Amino acid sequence: MPKDNLNQDNIEISRRKMMGLVVGVINLGLIGAIVGPMVGFAAAPLGNKRKSRWVELMDESRIKPGEVKEVNYSLLVVDGYHEVEQKFTVFLRRSEEDVICIDPACTHLGCRVDYHADQHKFICPCHGGVFDDEGTNKSGPPPKPLERHPVKVEAGKIWISREV
Amino acid sequence: MSQKTYKPKDAPTLSPEVKVDEPREAVSSEERLQIERPSLRDWMDLRLGWYGFVRKNLDEPMPAGVGWWQTLGNLLMTLLVFQFITGFALAMYYSPSPDSAHASVKHLTYEVGLGSFIRGLHSWGSTVIVIAVVLHMLRVFFWGSYKKPRELTWVVGVIIFQVILGFSFTGYLLPWDQKAYWATVVGTRIAATIPVVGHALLVFIRGGEEVGALTLTRFYSFHVMLLPASLILFTFLHLYLVRRHHIAGPVTPAKGAPVPFYPNQLFKDAIVLLFGVGLLIYLAVALPPGLEAIADPTGTDFSPRPEWYFLGLYELLKVMPSGWEVVATVIIPTGITIGMFALPWLDRSKSRHPAKRQWIIMSGFAAILLIGLMTLKGILETPPEHKKSEATLAESNDIPKAEATQLESLGE
Ligand code: HEM
Ligand code: FES
Repeated sequence: MPKDNLNQDNIEISRRKMMGLVVGVINLGLIGAIVGPMVGFAAAPLGNKRKSRWVELMDESRIKPGEVKEVNYSLLVVDGYHEVEQKFTVFLRRSEEDVICIDPACTHLGCRVDYHADQHKFICPCHGGVFDDEGTNKSGPPPKPLERHPVKVEAGKIWISREV
Repeated sequence: MSQKTYKPKDAPTLSPEVKVDEPREAVSSEERLQIERPSLRDWMDLRLGWYGFVRKNLDEPMPAGVGWWQTLGNLLMTLLVFQFITGFALAMYYSPSPDSAHASVKHLTYEVGLGSFIRGLHSWGSTVIVIAVVLHMLRVFFWGSYKKPRELTWVVGVIIFQVILGFSFTGYLLPWDQKAYWATVVGTRIAATIPVVGHALLVFIRGGEEVGALTLTRFYSFHVMLLPASLILFTFLHLYLVRRHHIAGPVTPAKGAPVPFYPNQLFKDAIVLLFGVGLLIYLAVALPPGLEAIADPTGTDFSPRPEWYFLGLYELLKVMPSGWEVVATVIIPTGITIGMFALPWLDRSKSRHPAKRQWIIMSGFAAILLIGLMTLKGILETPPEHKKSEATLAESNDIPKAEATQLESLGE
């Protein structure tokens, strides 16, 4: 009889263990069921890819060799749930041979650099990054040159391409 | 007199001297349930158990020597309640979209009655909370109150501290003015300096490649849903732990028996609340919150600056040489945070006395000095007022004028 009793107890214990295990598994499932989709939903923008677009900026004749010019333009871009006319700024620099297009976002942490014509330098107001007039980083924290956008000159017009 | 206030009529009188550490049920609940026709107050108490709860907390023993320094926690709690209420009120007028955020803040500040005051309370509140939290942490640090058995009280406190910084980072963007926009452009870019996963993390935080509509809704959702919910949770956990382990006495025990929280400590708490909340109201009235020009990704004459308590980090970024920015953006802040979490286990000494834990106190001083000096440097270098940015939509041909002042400050 005592032996039997012991068996009963063992069965009881394993039954309890089993049920506890099932509860645990169900709970894990519940957490997964809400956390999984939640993370996927929040991270959805990671899947968006940007496309390059060519934009006509201005007449080639309006910039002289050796000059650096700030150009503002706007583009219709999709910003989340709406399409907006977004403003952009770039710097065009013309040398004897070609035209380059420099993006004003500082390569350190993204502040907008200013061009100082008298010194031929781009200077970042945030942490004092300095770039030469070709966008090469000269001093301060920026780790690499300012980014460039592809440029083409067609029928006397300057076009640049940018990803939006 | 205090005891009368919270005692149902039929409860027998307690002996006047308060015995600590002993839960006191004046009458067993069994007995009290037998009361034939309880008054409304007794009835509420019997159903809710409110009497015991309030009594227990008012009688909480305060070791001799506990005093003004222990009022900061209560001040923080009150300020948090203020933040919740003013935040709730602001959300009635605020609209989280780049089209309307700036206009809605402008409207509620300048056109809605008391708008400037409510917004002032909320924005100055964040500043006063940060100051109070830092003082509270410093007092716990120097008293060594994070030691056994209060390790988790401290750990939960560090989590609360992070949550508060999260609040101010996400809240800063909401007005969608120049300051908000650029601080967020730079602040989020910090994530991108992390090797390998940096870019993905940046896109995740911003809800896209650029700071835009989805950044604003994301930050708003954190600011009004996730962060408040976690703050409430962790604050209750914190208070539960504070009560469970009781307040630690001075590092060298003071003479005298513990006294109940009410009325001595509560009185001190109330005085501090009077001054703390008084200061907050004064700031909200005397220095009403402003609003800069609407966020403009092309605006030139604007130099982005974060909220003042992130200025230390901002200055650190300036002095880091090129290629080392990850040290300032990730390694140092993460190091300090890990150090804070681990403090109760880093500090192995049994004694809470500052003289018995010299290197901990020294590293504390070093960290405080570093952060303090950097922040001070940042504050001193803040230009007084930002010029309004004139945004031109079409192409502009004017070459930006050299800004002599800025160049000077660069030492060029
Ligand atoms: C808004 C946030 C906070 C609230 C509402 C809060 C509230 C309180 C209250 C009411 C007390 C008891 C009275 C006092 O000592 O002032 C306390 C004690 C304590 N707090 Fe906080 N606190 C907060 C943040 C923090 C932070 C950020 C830390 C540390 C990182 C921290 C660590 C502690 C510790 C270790 C104690 C126990 C002190 C002792 O026993 O002597 N708290 N807190
Ligand atoms: S963002 Fe330009 S130097 Fe830091």
